[in-house]
Amino acid sequence: MGEAHRRITDYLNKFSDAVSYQDVASLAQLFSFSSNSPSLLSLADALNYFQDANRLIKQSDKFSQFGEILAPIFRSLQSYRLGNLVDSYHAFEKFANAFIQEFRNWESAWALEALYVIAYEIRVLAERADRELASNGKSPEKLKGAGSFLMKVFGVLAGKGPKRVGALYVTCQLFKIYFKLGTVHLCRSVIRSIETARIFDFEEFPRRDKVTYMYYTGRLEVFNENFPAAEHKLSYALTHCNPLREANIRMILKYLIPVKLSLGILPKAWLLEKYNLLEYSNVVQALKRGDLRLLRHALQEHEDQFLRSGVYLVLEKLELQVYQRLVKKIYFIQKQKDPSKAHQLKLDVIVKALKWLEMDMDLDEVECIMTILIYKNLVKGYFAHKSKVVVLSKQDPFPKLNGKPVNS
Amino acid sequence: MDDSGRRRQQWRNHPSSSLTGPTRSRSQKLSSNPAKTTHSSNFIPRSTTTTGTTPDNTKNPGYVPKWKSETNANKQQEVEKEAGDDVGSIVGTCLFMCPEGERAQRERQRDLAVFERLNGDPRKTSPALAVKKFCRTISLKYVQASDVRPLSVLEDTLNYLLNLLDSSEHPFEVVHDFIFDRTRSIRQDLSMQNIVNDRAIHMYEKMVKFHVVSHHRLQNCGSSSMSSLQYLNMEQLTKTLASLYILYEANRSSNSIYENEAEFRSLYVLLHLDSKRQQTEESLSFWFCRVPPIVMKSKEMHFARQVLRFYRMGNYRSFLCTVSAEASYLQYCVIEPYVNEIRALAVSYINNCCYKFHPYPLEQLSKLLMMKESDAESFCHACSLETLTDDGGNKLLPTKQTTFSIPKGSFQSYSLLGLQQ
Repeated sequence: MGEAHRRITDYLNKFSDAVSYQDVASLAQLFSFSSNSPSLLSLADALNYFQDANRLIKQSDKFSQFGEILAPIFRSLQSYRLGNLVDSYHAFEKFANAFIQEFRNWESAWALEALYVIAYEIRVLAERADRELASNGKSPEKLKGAGSFLMKVFGVLAGKGPKRVGALYVTCQLFKIYFKLGTVHLCRSVIRSIETARIFDFEEFPRRDKVTYMYYTGRLEVFNENFPAAEHKLSYALTHCNPLREANIRMILKYLIPVKLSLGILPKAWLLEKYNLLEYSNVVQALKRGDLRLLRHALQEHEDQFLRSGVYLVLEKLELQVYQRLVKKIYFIQKQKDPSKAHQLKLDVIVKALKWLEMDMDLDEVECIMTILIYKNLVKGYFAHKSKVVVLSKQDPFPKLNGKPVNS
Repeated sequence: MDDSGRRRQQWRNHPSSSLTGPTRSRSQKLSSNPAKTTHSSNFIPRSTTTTGTTPDNTKNPGYVPKWKSETNANKQQEVEKEAGDDVGSIVGTCLFMCPEGERAQRERQRDLAVFERLNGDPRKTSPALAVKKFCRTISLKYVQASDVRPLSVLEDTLNYLLNLLDSSEHPFEVVHDFIFDRTRSIRQDLSMQNIVNDRAIHMYEKMVKFHVVSHHRLQNCGSSSMSSLQYLNMEQLTKTLASLYILYEANRSSNSIYENEAEFRSLYVLLHLDSKRQQTEESLSFWFCRVPPIVMKSKEMHFARQVLRFYRMGNYRSFLCTVSAEASYLQYCVIEPYVNEIRALAVSYINNCCYKFHPYPLEQLSKLLMMKESDAESFCHACSLETLTDDGGNKLLPTKQTTFSIPKGSFQSYSLLGLQQ
């Protein structure tokens, strides 16, 4: 009993001292459940054993002034230890709300790092709580709740004072939540605040947060297929990312590569090798060779991976560029044989080439593809239906994309 | 005619409801004998419009459900969810399609839909005709178990409602509107009781099917009030579909898939073919992340993804061929609006890319667009393109016309040749 009592009082002292001395490092440690640190776990055991921590909190003014914060975090920790994650989440949210109220009153931004920890922990705890709910057949909505809470925190930080540099970290936590929930349209409002509110100067934010922010907003552009914007943002993330953080660079490249491919820019083989992104090798080859079969094969081989990361549809769209390359090759071969007739491509010949690639397509479908290529300016020329010939323009019949996406 | 709850209603309030069984507060002398007919019901409403004695007991002044506007969709979603929250769930005991109290009240208020009227009398209904209405602001705290229908009653109610679709007495919009509202109430009852089993899945599948077929039929109705009905229908379609997916997940055992799951999942893809239109919802790329692999490998999902690929590439030929050869009825209902869109695309491509001196034969065009030749001709005209006839009597589309434009309203409906249904 004495040991439990001691551990609890220990924690209470650490808390009030951290606040008195504005020691954010110590403070932050007190909330970091996911670290599963021995001290927190043993505190949890003590709480579950002692069962009357509230009395201890009330015993001294030093603690009772923070009663609204301390009581719920104790409850949360207790539930956490017992594996009742839904209960733990509820209490943690109460704690976090109370903490924010106090945080608001502190003029300086000394406690920001602790706030970051809380933002992180509430998200992670909510995810676990949702898993618990789902496994019991209930509707998982704690993560959604965590999102609402963090929006509130965002509001607290979005002011003129020094606390505003914390807003980007909270934004990134919100992104993670929305991405996980699939409610990415909710990102819009925070993005708007960050990018247009005059109180924020993007360059002021910590570098780490800027990289994360650009990574997520870049990914959003990928999902919305705004390739130039996606390239800009993901490239920013790449250039500002710490080069030693290879895992992060890999994550950025995972999205940047498909984007660049869509803009007609191919990565070098060594890049794919260095960052272990070999799933893109065959895609790159297919584009180089105009090999439609290889593209389809590559997509099929890594289908699960591409679907999971969300780039599958982007890669699928590369088909048109592969067709363009194929037609271009046919043109070059014809040019070697008979330069005067090279610019006339019989549909039959294209059908044959595709058959050779084991793609069985009839004349109608090939005609359709050719009209698409012409319409979208991947091929310059026209289609003579009667003679079933594509007549290429004498000048620049296969315009390069030049960093622009294929016309929709 | 049913005004779908645009009027204010007052439900009786029982502040002391325990959630596990029916409670009787002093005011309620509701008979529990299901055989009783309406006119002998002892229900006394708290409505101030009646001249009956108002009960003197616990009055809960706060609770008056209000009919909010449809744009408050989010709040409403919260509310509907609130009903199934882990506040605890109710076990319904109402054995009728409509709780007796509501039935009596609506008779008095003449709030009966055409389908609920006994012999056409707007003041009379019967247990066989009255169906519980959707109530927007129900909160679990104020609900009586006797107002909630248990699963088997809900199943029968749903079947009854869906059978009304066969009736041709009333215009489709009227039938749709009624079933729309009453199935929403069914979903509410299911959610309040937290019923998430196989039988719930079958019910949700039927309700999605209703919304999908309505989506299709409302397109072809053509009147101007359609668009709000269509919008609302699409809203509920999306919600019901989302709930269905949650049910599939919650009930998933090992690596299995429900009999109809693949088809119902494929509908989501087909509803989101156009990436530009659905900016407010999650993109398909996200959605695919979370679909179980076994569903992804199904024939129906494969079909949907192919259609998606063709649509997004503009491959009108493969799109139309694949759809006509492989789409199921439900899938086609969802795809249909895109068919004319892609035909227009095809016409604009051909107009743009083909040799000026080789006008395009309509016979060939109609084959590509999978339309009758006469339809293809009128389609071109609808796109503001001229056609001409040559000496041999063949109809042609001259190319490189500059007048191409998509018509402002929607296209008329053309059949899709070769459609296997």
